[in-house]
Amino acid sequence: MENLSVEGVEQIEKTQNNTSEVVQVENLKKRYKNITALDGVSFSVKKGEVFGLLGPNGAGKTTTINILCTLSQPNSGQAYVNGYDVVRQPAAVRDSIGLVFQETILDSHLTAEENLYLHAMLYGVSRKEYLERKRDLLKFCELWGKRKAKVETFSGGMKRRLELVRALIHNPQVLFLDEPTIGLDPQTRKKIWDYIFSLRKKKNITIFLTTQYLSEAENCDRVAILDHGVVVSLDSPENLKRMIGEDIISFRTEDNQVAEQEFREKFPKFPIKRVGKELRVKVNNGDKFLPILVKAVTPRIISMELRRPTLEDVFLEITGRKIREDNKEINKEEEKFDLSSLFSIFGSLNKKDE
Amino acid sequence: MNKRINKRIKTLYVIWYREVLIYLRNGVKFFTSIFLPILILVFLGTGLKTMLPSSILNYDFVQFFFPGILGLSISIMAVSSTMSIVWDREFGFLKEILISPISRSDIILGKILGATTTALIQGILIMLIIPYLGLDFSKWLFIKVIFVILLVSYGMAALGVFLVSRLKRMESFSIVSQIIIAPMAFLSGAFFPLKNAPAWMIKMAYYNPLAYGIDALRWVTLSESLAKEEISLLTTHSLFLCLIVLLAFNFVITFLSVRVFNKSVY
Repeated sequence: MENLSVEGVEQIEKTQNNTSEVVQVENLKKRYKNITALDGVSFSVKKGEVFGLLGPNGAGKTTTINILCTLSQPNSGQAYVNGYDVVRQPAAVRDSIGLVFQETILDSHLTAEENLYLHAMLYGVSRKEYLERKRDLLKFCELWGKRKAKVETFSGGMKRRLELVRALIHNPQVLFLDEPTIGLDPQTRKKIWDYIFSLRKKKNITIFLTTQYLSEAENCDRVAILDHGVVVSLDSPENLKRMIGEDIISFRTEDNQVAEQEFREKFPKFPIKRVGKELRVKVNNGDKFLPILVKAVTPRIISMELRRPTLEDVFLEITGRKIREDNKEINKEEEKFDLSSLFSIFGSLNKKDE
Repeated sequence: MNKRINKRIKTLYVIWYREVLIYLRNGVKFFTSIFLPILILVFLGTGLKTMLPSSILNYDFVQFFFPGILGLSISIMAVSSTMSIVWDREFGFLKEILISPISRSDIILGKILGATTTALIQGILIMLIIPYLGLDFSKWLFIKVIFVILLVSYGMAALGVFLVSRLKRMESFSIVSQIIIAPMAFLSGAFFPLKNAPAWMIKMAYYNPLAYGIDALRWVTLSESLAKEEISLLTTHSLFLCLIVLLAFNFVITFLSVRVFNKSVY
């Protein structure tokens, strides 16, 4: 593993000199019936980079990935993947990307191996390459012993790993991961990320991912924060964190209102914010400031915490809310019967090709 | 050019392979797909026969019944096989196919051919009981029947794709089967000769592609057991007309199903 990572770092450095952009998105807009999912999204992803797209539910992450992998079409704007236009050259785009979606899309009737075989056939991988990669990747993801088992017997983590293997069978240049760890327990999540990052080092492919777990996004090279269909900031996690200051002190008192008032009077330079039942202060030398703060506030302090800012704080700062706060998904109207879709086939026949 | 055709055949093969693999893998489905038609033939056929005094008929009732049940079984098999599209959509696997670099029309052709194959396998298995039904059968006839089975089941598979490619849930399939497939089956002449039916029924049956399929099957399966005049009493259309209509229907419905599927979402 050690050799691997050293080699990987060299490779990444090599590719950074080469400024070719693997994914390029310009002013992408997408509207659904009455919702604007994307409202002019632009960004680009460099070769060999791990790029994270963050945002709360309904921010447009999945819509962006769907457009990039040609599953849906934008209303306006351009998007290129590996230099191919996602609208005009969908087949070429699909050929060069690997995908892992939020939901598991394995065929559970079939065995792990059969799933991989079908995938290899769909992508026109030669038999020799298929056998080689299958062995390599299955061993790497510790699924080799399970290759003849039906997928329905797999655990959530194993399915995810198999999907990773499958996405890499045709040797894609970009790997798209849409919430690859959603619904998994923390241990499995960590393991999946270990696989993803060592795969990246081993194969030197570009990884484009979305996630709600901000702690996981810390490992990305660059992060774009998406909110209400717009990229609100884009930088490396370090720079983003630096942007919001050094340390964060959050504390609870018996009377937050009085404490806030007192704080504002005594330290007008430092910003203070109320977040839920807590007061939050941003300071430069948090450890030295703590005792001063304790003396300055008269209401009794219930709890106190000092920490370095995380991406969660960045997110809170930029969008004004926690990432997983509003879990209201956009609920599509549930139709009782599917008759409308049955009859819509007749409607679609009359329409000319768009 | 050659390479391109090669690639297309390969992709058709993948989709077809999966369809057939799932059918063969699913032991229960495989068993029931043959069990029910045989049950109907043996029990219902024998039972109905006792209602009709043999002096009226100059043929065995089972001889009449067999091609109809064969036709219906393969049709229902073909249509229900295309349900895998809805299944795949509901469980997400359709996405895996749609994001691969193969074209949607190839996906559809592969699906139709896969469903046709499952129907063909079922048809052949049902034909194995022919010797026990008192029908005369040669190898040549066997091949002719297979040809007609292919024609009928292809059309029904394509019709199935056309009907289900927009459905999002499995439950919706019962609506499709009740509103479209059931009337087609009852108006196909499988259970009774349409020739003696009231005029309005015959009129409706003119627009039922399955009626031509059942007629064609009857013409072919009985050709070595009964005289032409006797078969024409049991059928509405001539064999030639049946084959033409089936071919035309297959052609049109393939076109329509590709068109509908191209516009469907994952």
